[in-house]
Amino acid sequence: MLSIQNLNKSFKQAEGDVVVFSGLNFEMATGTSVALLGESGSGKSTLLHLIAGLDQVDSGEIKIDQSSITSMSEAALAEMRRHQVSLVFQQFHLISTLDIIDNIRFQAALCQRFDSDYEALLIDRLGLGKQLKKFPHQLSRGQQQRVAIARSLLHKPALVLADEPTGNLDEQSSLEVMALFSALVKNAGSSLLMVTHSREMASYLDRSVLLHSGKLGEIGAA
Amino acid sequence: MQPSSVLVLKAVFSHYWRHGWQTLFLLVGLIAGVGLWSAVQIINQQARLSYEQADSLLGVQASYWIHSRTGKAIEVDDYIHLRRAGFRQIFPVVEAEVSTQQGQPISIIATDLFALPNNLLDSGEGDTASDWLSFVQPPYRAWVPRQLAEELELQPEDQLLLRDGRRFPPALIKSHSQQGRQVLMDIAAAFALLNRETFSYLVVGNIEADQLSQLESLLPDRLELIENQQHLDLQELTQSLHTHLSAMSLLSFAVGLFIVFNAVRFSLWYRRPTFMNLRLMGASSSLLLSAVLIETLLWSFVGAGAGIVVGLQIGKVLLPGLGASLHSLYDATVDTQLIWQFDTLLKAWGITLLGLLWALTWPLYQQLKRNSLPANLISRASLDERQSRHYLALSSLALIGVSIFLYPRIDDAISGFLLLGLLLFGAAWLLPTLLAFTLRLVSHLTADRQLIARWLIGDGWAQLPALRTAMMALLLAMTANLGVGTLVDSFRSAFVGWLEVRQSADIYLRSSKIDYDRLLDPQDSSTWLADSHRRIGVTSRWQGRQTLIRGVDTGAPDSLKLPLAQWSGITPEATLKQWQSEENTLLANEQVHYLAGLQLGETIQLQTDKGLIDYRVIGFFYDYGNPNFQFYLPYDEVVNYWTQYHSRGIALWLKKNDEATQLLAEKAMREAGAETGDWILQSQVRKLSLNIFERTFTITAAMNALTMIVAAIALLASLLAILQERLPQFAQWRALGVRSREQMMIIACPILIFVLVAWLLAIPLGAVLSWILIHKLNIVSFGWSMPMRWDMLPAIQLGGVILLVVAATLMLASWQLRRRMPNALAQLGELA
Ligand SMILES: Nc1ncnc2c1ncn2[C@@H]1O[C@H](COP(=O)(O)OP(=O)(O)O)[C@@H](O)[C@H]1O
Ligand SMILES: [Mg+2]
Repeated sequence: MLSIQNLNKSFKQAEGDVVVFSGLNFEMATGTSVALLGESGSGKSTLLHLIAGLDQVDSGEIKIDQSSITSMSEAALAEMRRHQVSLVFQQFHLISTLDIIDNIRFQAALCQRFDSDYEALLIDRLGLGKQLKKFPHQLSRGQQQRVAIARSLLHKPALVLADEPTGNLDEQSSLEVMALFSALVKNAGSSLLMVTHSREMASYLDRSVLLHSGKLGEIGAA
Repeated sequence: MQPSSVLVLKAVFSHYWRHGWQTLFLLVGLIAGVGLWSAVQIINQQARLSYEQADSLLGVQASYWIHSRTGKAIEVDDYIHLRRAGFRQIFPVVEAEVSTQQGQPISIIATDLFALPNNLLDSGEGDTASDWLSFVQPPYRAWVPRQLAEELELQPEDQLLLRDGRRFPPALIKSHSQQGRQVLMDIAAAFALLNRETFSYLVVGNIEADQLSQLESLLPDRLELIENQQHLDLQELTQSLHTHLSAMSLLSFAVGLFIVFNAVRFSLWYRRPTFMNLRLMGASSSLLLSAVLIETLLWSFVGAGAGIVVGLQIGKVLLPGLGASLHSLYDATVDTQLIWQFDTLLKAWGITLLGLLWALTWPLYQQLKRNSLPANLISRASLDERQSRHYLALSSLALIGVSIFLYPRIDDAISGFLLLGLLLFGAAWLLPTLLAFTLRLVSHLTADRQLIARWLIGDGWAQLPALRTAMMALLLAMTANLGVGTLVDSFRSAFVGWLEVRQSADIYLRSSKIDYDRLLDPQDSSTWLADSHRRIGVTSRWQGRQTLIRGVDTGAPDSLKLPLAQWSGITPEATLKQWQSEENTLLANEQVHYLAGLQLGETIQLQTDKGLIDYRVIGFFYDYGNPNFQFYLPYDEVVNYWTQYHSRGIALWLKKNDEATQLLAEKAMREAGAETGDWILQSQVRKLSLNIFERTFTITAAMNALTMIVAAIALLASLLAILQERLPQFAQWRALGVRSREQMMIIACPILIFVLVAWLLAIPLGAVLSWILIHKLNIVSFGWSMPMRWDMLPAIQLGGVILLVVAATLMLASWQLRRRMPNALAQLGELA
């Protein structure tokens, strides 16, 4: 599903280059979920950005479903994100001018992949049934994040990339959302790569890897 | 100042370094607004100053003029006689019109430089004595004002070639106050050039009361003493024109202010977190307020200073044209050399400061009063937005109500412009509500169809607050453009048609020494003359205004086609017939109707030399641009009732209007006593008239174009500010897989809808504006009307131009977006 080979990335700064990755390799099978752990500033978010094509690699190759994204044009990257990848961030990034149901359907509408039974299931499982006609600013943080999760899953993407999706929530709702999220991803048959700080969160997923000094190391099955 | 205050200032100002675009727009808005306003201010001031010294022609204040009662010229002997009697303050003047080889008319003014006080040539440059000598000795010199010399491409010492092959004396290129566009020379040079030996009139300088009665008794019967009232009249006559200009400049200033307001609103919006943090760190709100006050002051210095510099440049470009039309319309001389006045700068600074206080300090004060940022920004912002839209709409309705109330009560230019201002701002303030209504309508029509449509509409709502001000500025600019454009077009078509009839003769001859019987002798003239029209006139005052009573040949070609604005008969032709055949009927110009309130069919009494005579007004004729009253009577009646009439010249229709026939006519005119400069060809008259017309409106066109540019800049400023603010949001869309083309469409669609609505509103509003300009303002300020000519083509063209402007701004915006997107994408997901 996802394969990264010999990835190098550094940021040019006035005080000197910040090397984030040097020769990083990573493989991930279809339908599996992986927790990405690491200290703050170790490059977790950068890795996710690179996989989503939001930032460019210095060298190395990233392949999603056999196609290399490192050589894609900006337009092709947009197509790839539209159909195959979805992103969930700590900030929910809902579209404030659309109501909840439209926010949920947004990406599915873009790639015209729509399954109304699955939609009903997502709404039901995420407990959003009463919120559909409201606007994002009328929801609590936890509810907003559930909407973002519904949006990222409705078109059944091949790969879900999540960057500390619960970092903005309190512990109780974090765990709730996490349990739901991992179950729904499994149910959709998608692969999930999720950045998290907490081992407890990571325990919901199939594998955990640790990012340290520009390289990835396996932590072993939970 | 304490270091903490310096830090606060630094934090507050640093915004302008980081947001170069906004700083630029703020500057452009300030400078454009102040520049346009001050340009007109400077021009008006210049004109007023000139009027104040209006009759200090050639350095001498004319308190009286001596004219011949019969319109004939004044003999040199009469002048010498008066000088010998000790009237040192009297000096002679020759005025004449000649035309250059290329047909450009030039007016000459000449005087006896020996008789003048010495200050004329004394302008502080060069050797005055030798200059003076060269003026009064052959080959003489022609003093050509700089502006005219530039137009004629004349170098110093060049001798201008005239149409009849004569040459001017060598040119001295130098501008003298009150010279206007006239070429000045010594009387002897004029005599030689024009081949004449009589004066046009004499000027009497300062004179004591007892001297005056002595002069009156000394004056032969054929000469009359006329008091100089020009000074008063000029102020009054030109008042409306200057009011027009001031109104236009205020409009530009308003549009400029819209930009400033826009830019400032954005700058405050962006700095909300800064202000919040500063307050959290313990900066008092009075310290913040002072920081912004200092900022306001700085901006006002920069805006007023740079604005005045720009205004001076604009004034320099526009003044000569305006001066020329003032001269031809009102005989008013306006110096084309700008005089700099310090209080213009003060005034400019004053209005800039007021504008800025309103735009910058007041909103901040309110923001600080609210004390903190509301927890829920978005709902709060949209609530504020709806509320302010409602306030604007309510004020708008009030303004429109007041202007409807005012409409029938307009009786002068100032109240007219007040009405226009109220109406324009009323319409502008209604625009946000109309835009919101349109969005709601569109969303209604597309509601349940597609998520993309809903997204697009929703985004329109999000853009509305940021685009609101720019759209109002755009609406004002488009309305002014259409309204004034229609006015000018209507005037041009009315004026050109009118000229066709009024100036249908081929040659206009006016001279005091013509022997008309000889000129019109059927035997001699049969080779060239087709028809002729001799006019006489009596100048007097009627209802406090200068009035010309003309005796015209009612059967002449131009009389038979006289364009009437109002007539009492069944048709204009029937009315003209009645005027021809019925005694004691007259035609008056429209000015008499509008300015003196005379109605059709009313009878007026005219003071004649045989007592008061009753005349019935049976028609009003169009008389564009004439500031005075005119009555048309049959030739014979004027001869019958007034003994002191003078010739107003003769119009000649040629058998064939070719070079050969023209030469025959010229020969005949010379033989009848005419001199060079006494006649003018139709083509020259028409060119002159159209030139005056075009010049009068260059200033209008220029202001219009500048206002439009200012509005376009407002639009660009808003778009870039929107991008700046929403960049993270746009990046997030891209992360969701939105293509860049789709993204541009989402940004462009609402703007196009808004611009469409503004354009649609500008069309009827422009029509209303021109209706009021033509049917109210023109009449109350100038006393004449014209048929309004509404044409859709300019509106469509304007729509095209606006579309181009929008396309250009969108392209700039899209380029900015593409440049900044990678960085925004890389920062996605980070907490702001
Ligand atoms: N746009 C950028 N420019 C410069 N340096 C960056 C940029 N983004 C991230 N970095 C640096 O790269 C390193 C990794 O950052 P990040 O991926 O955000 O870490 P994490 O998400 O693991 O906390 C950090 O040292 C950070 O300072
Ligand atoms: Mg991170």
